[in-house]
Amino acid sequence: MDTTQTQTRTSDPILLAVIANRLDSICREMTNTLLRSARSAVINMARDFSCSIVTADNKLLATAEGLPVHVIGSEFLAEAMTELHDDISEGDAFLHNDPYLGNTHSADHAILVPVFHEGVHVFTAIAKAHQADAGNALPTTYVPGAKDVYDEGAITFPCVRVQQGYEPNADIIRMCNSRIRVPEQWYGDFLAALGAARIAERRLKELCAQYGRDTVDDLVEQWFDYSERRMTQAIRALPSGTLEGFSTHDPYPGLPDGIPLKVKVNIDAEEGRIELDLRENPDNYDGGLNESRACATANAMIGMFNSIDPDMPHNSGSFRRVTVLLREGCIAGIPRFPHSCSMATTNVADRLVSTTQAAFAELGDGWGLAEGAMGMGPYMGVVSGKDHRFGDQAYVNQLFIGSGGGPGGPVADGWPTYFIPVCASLVYKDSVEVDEQRYPIHVYEQALIPDSEGAGRHRGGLGCRSVYGPKRNPMAAAWSVEAHHHPPKGVRGGLPGGATDAWMIDAEGREQPVDLVGTVELQEGERIVSISAGGGGYGDPLDRAPERVLHDVREGWVSPERARDVYGVVLRPDGRGFALDAEATAAARERARAAAR
Amino acid sequence: MAFKIAIDTGGTFSDVVVTDDAGGFSLSKAPTTPARIFDGISQALTSAAEERELTLGELLADAGMVIYATTRSTNAILTGATARTALITTAGFRDTLVFREGGKLRPFDFRQPYPEPYIARSLTYEVAERVSSEGEVVVPLAADDVRRVLAELREGEIEAVAVSLLWSIENPSHEQLVGELLEAELPGVPYTLSHRLNPIVREYRRTSSAAIDASLKPLMQRHLSDMGTDLRAAGFGGELLVVTSFGGVLRVGDVASRPLYSVNSGPAMAPVAGKVAAAPSRDVVVCDTGGTSFDVSVVRDGEVKFTRETWLGEPFTGHITGLSSVDVKNVGAGGGSVAWIDPGGMLRVGPRSAGAEPGPVCYGRGGTEPTVTDAAVALGYIDPAYFWAGKLALDADAAAAAIRAVVAEPLGLSVAAAAWAILAVANEHMVTAVRDITINQGIDPRDSVLVAGGGAGGLTMSKIAEELGCRSVLVPRTAAALSATGGLFGDIVSEFTVSRRVQTGDFDYDAVNAGLATLERQMDEFFDRMHIAPEARVKDYVVEARYPYQVWELDVPLEKGRFDGPEDVEAMVQAFHATHEAVFAVKEAGQRVECLYWKGRASVHLPKPAVPRISPNGATTPKPRGTRATWWGGDDPEQAAIFAAESLAAHQRVAGPAVVELPTTTVVVYPGWELEVTERGDFLLSRPSA
Repeated sequence: MDTTQTQTRTSDPILLAVIANRLDSICREMTNTLLRSARSAVINMARDFSCSIVTADNKLLATAEGLPVHVIGSEFLAEAMTELHDDISEGDAFLHNDPYLGNTHSADHAILVPVFHEGVHVFTAIAKAHQADAGNALPTTYVPGAKDVYDEGAITFPCVRVQQGYEPNADIIRMCNSRIRVPEQWYGDFLAALGAARIAERRLKELCAQYGRDTVDDLVEQWFDYSERRMTQAIRALPSGTLEGFSTHDPYPGLPDGIPLKVKVNIDAEEGRIELDLRENPDNYDGGLNESRACATANAMIGMFNSIDPDMPHNSGSFRRVTVLLREGCIAGIPRFPHSCSMATTNVADRLVSTTQAAFAELGDGWGLAEGAMGMGPYMGVVSGKDHRFGDQAYVNQLFIGSGGGPGGPVADGWPTYFIPVCASLVYKDSVEVDEQRYPIHVYEQALIPDSEGAGRHRGGLGCRSVYGPKRNPMAAAWSVEAHHHPPKGVRGGLPGGATDAWMIDAEGREQPVDLVGTVELQEGERIVSISAGGGGYGDPLDRAPERVLHDVREGWVSPERARDVYGVVLRPDGRGFALDAEATAAARERARAAAR
Repeated sequence: MAFKIAIDTGGTFSDVVVTDDAGGFSLSKAPTTPARIFDGISQALTSAAEERELTLGELLADAGMVIYATTRSTNAILTGATARTALITTAGFRDTLVFREGGKLRPFDFRQPYPEPYIARSLTYEVAERVSSEGEVVVPLAADDVRRVLAELREGEIEAVAVSLLWSIENPSHEQLVGELLEAELPGVPYTLSHRLNPIVREYRRTSSAAIDASLKPLMQRHLSDMGTDLRAAGFGGELLVVTSFGGVLRVGDVASRPLYSVNSGPAMAPVAGKVAAAPSRDVVVCDTGGTSFDVSVVRDGEVKFTRETWLGEPFTGHITGLSSVDVKNVGAGGGSVAWIDPGGMLRVGPRSAGAEPGPVCYGRGGTEPTVTDAAVALGYIDPAYFWAGKLALDADAAAAAIRAVVAEPLGLSVAAAAWAILAVANEHMVTAVRDITINQGIDPRDSVLVAGGGAGGLTMSKIAEELGCRSVLVPRTAAALSATGGLFGDIVSEFTVSRRVQTGDFDYDAVNAGLATLERQMDEFFDRMHIAPEARVKDYVVEARYPYQVWELDVPLEKGRFDGPEDVEAMVQAFHATHEAVFAVKEAGQRVECLYWKGRASVHLPKPAVPRISPNGATTPKPRGTRATWWGGDDPEQAAIFAAESLAAHQRVAGPAVVELPTTTVVVYPGWELEVTERGDFLLSRPSA
C-alpha cells in the first residue's frame, strides 16, 4: 500500500469522521438491543455477545464495544455466507455456528443479515451471542473432554438460511427447539440477535440513502486506509525485533503435562508490520481445547492490540499491517476435522492473549501487560437442574459470580472485574440477588481476597472467593479451573497473581476436594468454593508508590506484612489505621534492592 | 402582584427566573457564591426586583413559591465533599460497591485506573445475617453484632450511615433492626435504609442509592435549611420547593430526608421546559448545550422519558444513582471542546474541553487550543463585541490564528473551511448522543421537535437537526436558562415502588392488587403530609415488565391501579408487546409477560405561570441591525443580516443566512433555513425546502 497515495485520497476528513462515528453508533444500537431483549443470563446479564458490521467484500468494518474474541474474525463468518450461497438476497438471515467455517466455537450462534441498498449487497450485519445451551451431550457449552465434534454433540449450523424474504425458516427453528435445552430461552435469544441485526440493516440502509452508495463505499475505503495509517504509525513507534512468549496451560484431562504454548512476535518497525507466529505449537489433540481459526487469529491480535495505543480503529484496515501465521492441525491454529473446538474461546485463547501481551512487555517499560486471571472456575460455571419454586421448571445457564484479577500494566493497576483475558472486564458481573431469583441457588459469599494480587509497580487485580450451592434440588455444575498450576505471570519484575482453586464444603461443613475440570452434582446443603486468580504485576514492587501501598493496606487489599516484605513499605500504626514511615521505607527498599543485586 | 420564582444554581452561575400572574417574565444571572449560596442568588433576585421597581424584600414578600434547583449534591459527589459515610452490609458481601456491575467502555484500553468504591472498603462493615431470595431468614441478625459495629462507627467519627442488606426488599426486618439500633446508639447521625429509599432487586444499585443518599444527608440538610432561613430572613413567606431528578418538585423537607432525589435534578427539568415550549407537539427532543457538556432528554407522547440507569461519571466506572429518574444522556461536548488532528490525519473534537479556565482561545485567558466556540467566532456567527451582551470582549484574531495553526494548515484548508469542519465533527458527537437516547428507545427523532437550550444551543442545532432528519428546531427565548424555566412548570412529583414478581400465565391478582394498594396508600400518605385535597391528587401506575428469562424491564403504563379480571391483564400484555416491538424491533406474540416492579407516581399539578405573549407589530419583514461577513462551508464570506432579538415581533420571519442575537445566546439561521418568531417570543427554525 502506497501511503502517499492513500493520504491524497482522504479528501473529506469531515465526512469520514461523521461516517466512522455513525458506524460505531449503529453497532452500539445493535448491542443495546441484544442486551436488553435477550433471554439468557449469559447474554442479558453478562453480555457475552458482540455485534459487528462487515463490508460486502467481507472486511471487518465496525465493532464498537464488542468482545474482541468475538468480533475479530467475524469477517470469516461473512466469507462463509458469500462462498456458500450464490443467491443471497434482501430479507435473508443466516444462522452460523460452525467453527470449521470461520466461527469461534459451536456455542456462539451468529446471525448474519446481508444488507441491500438498491438491490446491491452492501454490508453484512452480524450479531453473535454465546448460547446458554447448544444441544451438547452434556449440559454445558464448554466440554473440555470432548474427544471430537461428535462427542461434543453441539447441533451445527454451517451458515444456514433462517430467514428468507423476512420470513422465518420454520424447519431450522424446529430443529433447534428439539435439540437445545430450555428451547424457549434459545428462541428468545435468537429473536433478540435477529432484532439486533435487523436494526443494523435499517440504519445502514438509511446511511446509504442519505449519502449515496458511492460516497459510502468511498468513505469506507478511506476509513480502512486511515486505520492502516494509524496502525503503521503505532508499529513505527515500537522497537524492531523478535519476541518470544511462552506459557503453559494447566494439565487437563487428556493433557497430563498441560499445553506448552509459544507466541513469536516479529516487529518490523521501519516497514510498519507485525507478524504473530503461532505455528510452533503442539498438534491438535482429542479433547475440547483446540482453537478454531477465528479464535487463534483473534487472540494473538488481541494480545497485540492490548499492548499498543488503545485509540486505534480495530478493523480490516489496521489488520492489513498484521500477519498471523497459523498451522493446520495445530492446537493453536487451524483445527483438523473432527477435532472439537468446544473451549476455543477460553482456555488456549486466554493463554494466547496473555502470552502475547506479556511478550510485548519485553520491549521495554511502557509496552505490554502482565498476565491476568484465566480459566472458568465454578465462579463462571454452567449450572443446570430443576427449580422447585416453579414446578420443577428446567434451567441451564452460565454464572458470572465474583470475577478474576486483571493484569497490571505500564500505567494502571489490574481491575478486579477482569474475569478472563478474552472478556477483559467487558462482560458484566451477575447480581447475586438476580441470580438467586432466577435460579434455585444460594450464594454464601463473594469477596475479594487480600494479598492475592501479583505485586508490582502496578499490581494485578485481586482474585475473588465465591461460594454457592443449590437451594433444594440437586444442581449440576460444570467448570474448568485453569491457572491453578500456572498462575498469571508478572512482567518486568512484577510477581505472579494468586492461583485459581476450587473445593467443596459438604453438608457437614467439611472441605472436600473436587476435580478441577469436570461436572459435579451438588446436593442440598453442599456448596462449592471458587477461588479466582489474581492478576500478575507490572514492574518491580519496590518501585510502587508508597502512598499506593498505604492505600492498599488501609482498604484491606494488601496486609501490612506483605507491604513490608514484598513492597518494602514500612507502615506504623496511626490511631485506628496506618501511616507511612517514609524513612524506614526508603531504607527497607534500599536493602531489598541491594539483596537482589 | 403575585410572583413565582425559579432559582437554578450551577457550578459557576446562578439563574433566576421571575414570573408574575400577568405573564411578565424576567431572567437574571449572577455568579454562584459557594460559601453562602444566597449571596449570589440575592444579587440576581435584586436585579429582577429592580426591573420591576421593587426591593428584594418586596419581591420575596409577594412570591407565593420559590422553586430551587441546585447542583450542590451532584458537585459534592463529584468533588468528594460528601460526609464521612459508613456502609453496613451482609457478611460475605463487603465488596458490592467495589465490583459495581463490571463492564467497561473501551476494549483494549488498560490505561484507565480502576475507580474507588463510593464508600471506602475500610468504612464498610459486615454484620452476620442473611435473608433468602424468598424472604426467609437464613442467618438471624444478632443485635450485639450490630452494636459491635456501631461502637466502631462511633469511634471512627462517622457522620452518616448507609444500610444495605441482601434481600431487604423481600424481608426488611434486619434492616429495620439496624435502623432501630442506629437511633438508639448513634442518635443524630443520619442514616439511610436501602429498602426504604429504593426497594429494587440488584444489590449494587440499591446499595449505591443508599450510600449516595446517606452521604449527602448532613450536607444537604444543612444547605436546604440555610436556604430556607435566608429566604425567610429576606422576606419570603411562601412555599420553598426543591427540584428533583423525577423532573418535578418536592417540599424542601421531603428532599432533605431523601437528598438522593436532588442529584442530577437540574438537567431533569430541561425536558419539562422543552415540553412546554414545544406544545402542542408531544414528541420533543431537548438538547441543552453548555460550555462543557451536552445533555439530551426526550419527551414522547407528552411524557418525559425515565431511566433506571443514571450514572454519576462514566457508565460502569462511575456511581449509579439506582433511581428511576428523568433520562438525561450526557456527552462531554460543548463550546469548550478542543479540536485536534490525530496521528492518522483525522480531525477530532473533544473529549477534552478547555473548560471555563482558560476557556476558548478567543476568551484571551491563555487558551491556545481551538475550540468549538472559536470556530463559531471565526465563522462570524458570534459577534466578538456582543458576546454575553458585551460583558466579555472576544479576540477573533487569536481564534482564527489557533484554528489556522492546529487544524487548517495540517489539513490544507482555509481557516473558514477548517472552522466549519470543527463544527461538523462536534455536531456528529451530539447527533450520536441524540440517536442513542431516541432510537435506542424506539423513538424516531424525525418525528420530533428539537428544542435547543443552553448558551451554545442556537449555534449549531439546525445542522444537528439536518443530520437527524428533523424538520424543525425551537430555540426558546429563555434557552440559556432552560432548567430554571422547567422548574416554573414543574409539578410536585414523587414515585413509589413495590416489588411483586408475577407472570401473566398464572396471574396472582391478590398479590398484585395488594401491591398496588400499598402504592396507593403510600401516595395518599404523601398527599396527606402535604395537605393536598383529594380532587387534586393525581395517581399514575406503571409496571416494569419483561418476557420470561429477560432481565431488563420495560416501563408499561397501566390504565388503573387495580386488576379486576383477565381483560385488564390482557390489556397490559398487549401494551407490553407493542412497547417491546417499538424498542427492540421484535415481539413475541402469545408469550407470557413477567411483571417485576409496580410504580406509583403521585403528582400534584401546580399553578403554571402565564405564558408571555408578544404581539405582531404589523410588519412582516423585520429590520436587521446590520450585516456581517459569515462563512457557510466555503472559503469565501457571505454577508449575513444580523438581528437583535428584541426588535423582532411575533410571526416575523428571517431567511438564512442570518444571525439573531440575544444577550445570553445566539441563534444562527443557516442557508436553506428560515426562522419564525412565535407568539411566545421563541424562535422556530425550519427548512421550507425539506
